[in-house]
Amino acid sequence: MLRREGLARVVEVENVSGAAGTIGLARFASAYRGQGDALLVTGLVMLSAIVMNESPVSLAEVTPIARLTGEYEVLVVPAASPFRSLEDLTAALRRDPGAVSFAGGSAGGTDQLLVGLLAREVGVEPAKTNYIAFSGGGDSLAALLGNQVSAGISGLSEYAPHIESGSLRALAISSSDPLPGVGILTFRQQGIDLALANWRGLVAPPGIRGPARDSLVNAIDRLVRTREWQEVLERTGWIDLYLPGDRFGQFLRSEQRRVASVVRDLGSATATGDNEIAEMVFPGIVGVGLLVSGGLLLARRGSEPRAPGNRRALGFVCLGAVADVVLLEPAGFIVASSVLFVCTARGFGSRRWARDTILGLALSTGAYFLFTRALSLSLPAGRLFP
Amino acid sequence: MSTWESLVMGFSVAAAPSNLLWAFAGVSLGTAVGVLPGIGPALTVALLLPVTLTLAPTSAFIMFAGIYYGAMYGGSTTSILLNTPGESASIATALEGNLMARRGRGAAALSTAALGSFVAGTIATVALTLSAPALVRVALHFGPAEYFALAVLAFTSVSAVLGRSLPKGLFSLFIGLGLGLVGIDPLTGKARFALGVSQLLDGIDVVILVMGLFAVGETFYLAWCSTPGGEDVVRPKGGGGFMGLSREDWSRSWPAWLRGTAIGFPLGVLPAGGAEVPTFLSYMIEKRLAKKPEEFGQGAIEGVAGPEAANNAAAAGVLVPLLTLGLPTSATAAVLLAAFQQYGLRPGPLLFESQPELVWSLIASLYVGNVMLLVLNLPLVGIWVRVLLMPKPLLYGGILVLASLGAYSLNGSIVDVMLLYVIGTLGAALRRFDFPVAPAVLGLILGPLAEQQARRALAISQGDWTVFVTRPISAVVLAAALLALLAPRWFHRRARTD
Repeated sequence: MLRREGLARVVEVENVSGAAGTIGLARFASAYRGQGDALLVTGLVMLSAIVMNESPVSLAEVTPIARLTGEYEVLVVPAASPFRSLEDLTAALRRDPGAVSFAGGSAGGTDQLLVGLLAREVGVEPAKTNYIAFSGGGDSLAALLGNQVSAGISGLSEYAPHIESGSLRALAISSSDPLPGVGILTFRQQGIDLALANWRGLVAPPGIRGPARDSLVNAIDRLVRTREWQEVLERTGWIDLYLPGDRFGQFLRSEQRRVASVVRDLGSATATGDNEIAEMVFPGIVGVGLLVSGGLLLARRGSEPRAPGNRRALGFVCLGAVADVVLLEPAGFIVASSVLFVCTARGFGSRRWARDTILGLALSTGAYFLFTRALSLSLPAGRLFP
Repeated sequence: MSTWESLVMGFSVAAAPSNLLWAFAGVSLGTAVGVLPGIGPALTVALLLPVTLTLAPTSAFIMFAGIYYGAMYGGSTTSILLNTPGESASIATALEGNLMARRGRGAAALSTAALGSFVAGTIATVALTLSAPALVRVALHFGPAEYFALAVLAFTSVSAVLGRSLPKGLFSLFIGLGLGLVGIDPLTGKARFALGVSQLLDGIDVVILVMGLFAVGETFYLAWCSTPGGEDVVRPKGGGGFMGLSREDWSRSWPAWLRGTAIGFPLGVLPAGGAEVPTFLSYMIEKRLAKKPEEFGQGAIEGVAGPEAANNAAAAGVLVPLLTLGLPTSATAAVLLAAFQQYGLRPGPLLFESQPELVWSLIASLYVGNVMLLVLNLPLVGIWVRVLLMPKPLLYGGILVLASLGAYSLNGSIVDVMLLYVIGTLGAALRRFDFPVAPAVLGLILGPLAEQQARRALAISQGDWTVFVTRPISAVVLAAALLALLAPRWFHRRARTD
């Protein structure tokens, strides 16, 4: 879209997955430092992952460009729940925090932040709340529909079909003002000063200042004014939370403080209050199991003699594997895989170097083009042939 | 509109010549990409998703159903022939299937897999057609306590894959359990055993473990321990018999298909189900019920027929929560959900009412895709088994290249490729010293499931351990697990005293 509107000539997208984006952030901050032509999509989830994972790189280092979109969180209960209103739920929470179980997404994510903020607002210690983390919206939804938990928290779109059909009852939404067309009361309307958006925004690498930064801010500013962008928002149901440059920077700093303090308050007993089985019980069981079965093995050792095995052949295959790992990123997939192929073939007794090299090149080139072109999956092209 | 009328309407859409063509294209593409080692169904469907986006929704879903089934069958093909399962659900198939292939019975193994997939897929689709909403209501009674009980039941299937030595089997299991602990603890969000490597925070991907222990481990092991030039693969025999199966094969296969379906479908329906648990349970049951249990470990056809049927039935079962509640319960289902959303559809309680034509043509296309799969793949069995005749240097060179490709493409991370080779070395060492590798995979899959569900259940009950026995479903499942462990001994003792 940036390209279509003449705001940028070439747009490349690189996806770096893992650990709620903190891996991507670390890579972004180091590999693109000072480059005025790179942007990273960030958001509330990454902000809290930085605090939770004690990530070495934080959002304070990067250059804020704009907050773009977001989604609000909705607090629901199963249709059969005794809680008819937010007040019922907060009263129960005050009486016995452990007895109200909240289902939501992964620990430390937006959903749990909302529980922490809610607890604080109603005068309950966040660490006492009983938050049950599920791996995704789907799992927590199943637990809610099956009446396994007291309440659930997720983005509105995730629960909307079930709220419409009446299988879930929405108690409150986390927007600061009532949303048009959504018949759910906000926390503020019900006397609780709480607003939270699962926002997303763009940042540039560290060390981008002056005109380089301004041109990025301006490009995004023009983008959000296009009709196409409005259409994208409408189609996806994202809410427009546009906040440009410096104002986004201020927001980011205050949001960072708020998130860090809630995460701290949710504290060490994060998930389940006093009653959880400590997170080290299962590792303990596994450790004991390994020791016992290993001990049994040692006690029985020394029965059958073995043939020495073909170390040379294994050596060739391992050489291929090491070469693959070493060469993959610098020399690219085709070279690394061809070397791997030839070494493995040698390990299995082939002496026909020429044939193996040709076949190895053919296989890896074919696979490379199949994956990168036909299936648009990125494989390292290598820095040798730019 | 009644279910039947809706289904007939669905068929009239799915059976249009152009749509049959899309189904055929889907099955061919799915099989072609699915046979690549290390590329399981979820990745195949994700990779091919853009191909369908140019089509009208109905045609796209019909092609999708073809890709889905094709990818699953393609995965089984390489599991059987090369012992390189690309995902955890086809490990149980690989266990006996590969042994059959080595004894020259690859064609029979592939045929029983194809026919079993067809039978299970068809029965499961019928069950999906008739009872989806009712099934979902039952499935929702399963909470964390019940899932923990289910994980315990699944753990008993370890007993079927332990191998000859109990301590060795257990050691392998605990290695898998240990590897499963690596990464962020999902309940507290804190990292455990990640050694400060941020790529390990998300844990060790089960696909990496499966490919490492099987494809790479096998390759390293063969280079290390087989005599060069020595022939340890029996030349494939022709299929013979009706559809590649002899009379004996048929009579041993069909009960296994039905049992596999009966296990796979209901477990697939459960939110948080997936296909691993049913395939291993099916493997255990087939081993227990086999007339010739001594054949297990040498290539027993029931050991392919059952798990393969269970896998396909579970795949159809997964569609029940997806279509009726919008709950994706497996990686593949999550990709399918993304596909629905591309077309502005929201699977959920209202989908059947708001988009009946699309839903019913999707269901009809599942039937069509199943038939198409059989039509395409039975004739190809003879060609697939020839893969085994490839010279070993080229075959294993190719396997390593494709495995590293699969590992890299998971997250685009070199750390995964390193991990693949490290686990491959571990796999070779385990094989060398006669440790079974399947328990390690079971440990990695089931360990986190059991731990998380137990802790969730205890959090909800506020620390009350009795939930596992006071909740009726949980108690019944735990009793079944106990029975699975004790019954065989009891049978043996009776057999001896008789």
